[in-house]
Amino acid sequence: METTKAKLKEILVNDLKLQGITPEEIGDTEPLFGEGLGLDSLDAVELVVLIQKYFDVQISDMEEGKVAFVSIESLAQYILDHKD
Amino acid sequence: MVGKNKYLQQLEALGHWFFYVTLHLFGQRGAHILLVPVVLSYVLWSRKIRRTVQPYLKRRFPKASVIGYFRHTFLTVFSFGRVLVERGWLGTVKDACLSGTIEGYEQITAEIAKGKGLVLLTAHMGNWQSALANLGDLPVPVNALMLYDKKAVAKHYFDLNRSKKSFQIIDAEGGFGGMVDSLAALNRGEVVTIMGDRFIKGSSTTVDFLGSEIKLPDSAYMLAASAGAPVAIVFAAQTGGGSYQLKVWDIFYPEYKSRDERGQMLMGCAEKFSSAMEEYLVLYPYQWYNFHNFWKK
Repeated sequence: METTKAKLKEILVNDLKLQGITPEEIGDTEPLFGEGLGLDSLDAVELVVLIQKYFDVQISDMEEGKVAFVSIESLAQYILDHKD
Repeated sequence: MVGKNKYLQQLEALGHWFFYVTLHLFGQRGAHILLVPVVLSYVLWSRKIRRTVQPYLKRRFPKASVIGYFRHTFLTVFSFGRVLVERGWLGTVKDACLSGTIEGYEQITAEIAKGKGLVLLTAHMGNWQSALANLGDLPVPVNALMLYDKKAVAKHYFDLNRSKKSFQIIDAEGGFGGMVDSLAALNRGEVVTIMGDRFIKGSSTTVDFLGSEIKLPDSAYMLAASAGAPVAIVFAAQTGGGSYQLKVWDIFYPEYKSRDERGQMLMGCAEKFSSAMEEYLVLYPYQWYNFHNFWKK
């Protein structure tokens, strides 16, 4: 779980290029979208692709996305639950 | 005031009834003849109507004389009236069926065959709702990313198509603007249609259109870039009573290597779309149906 969370934070900073923040500064329960890290719907699309690329896990509909994209913790949990 | 509104509503309902009866008795041609005095009176007496079409017509015909401008206003409103008559005809007359051509159909099917999905980008021009319903015959499911409050009406028109497949609606007001569901559809190799001309919220790019700046939504290009799918710009034109032409104006693959290149990629795509709309409006100047100030910031 911790490794997945750390990797996700790295992805946010390096691949989505969040500015003015380091992976260590991102809180596990901090909201990813809107207030919080401020990701938008375009970032959501990129994040879906990145999760597929790095973890081979597909988020295939919005119901799943809503649950997964709350925070780093929920996203990591989703990945662990859906990884073969 | 309430009484007046009720009176106007009743008058409007009576007008609709009169059009439907004319459609049944005399067909679309009869309704078009009836449309002439109705549109003429609207254009002459309704300041609201003239204001509504002004932002577009002033840019499309900047050198028009007073009489020329009046003519352009009449033809634009009349053209929209014909689209409404066509919808009424499709919805109420048994066995009414739209006929038309799709210029570039082979290009679309060839792109679909690659299995990466296809973003079909269109605009509020021509008889787009009725014509796009015919895309249900494509070899893969077609999804429409659209606003929830328009869902019922749009679904109705899509369902006018009697082919086996119907459109799946992806709610643009849903989480992340329907982007995750749209991406999943593309990953399944399906078609996602998006209206590329109206920016409501989210990410946008500012480009020139008919000499002034407009904001165009970015979502279609981001989706395509993320899925590795092509974007096909397809516009519909009403070519007669009950006929349409769908034409592929451009097909391209939005791509970017890093987030730093994203803005540049989106700008290039939005410019392609804006140029395609301008080219379309040279051929069909009266089929622009964004009846609001499209350029208002």
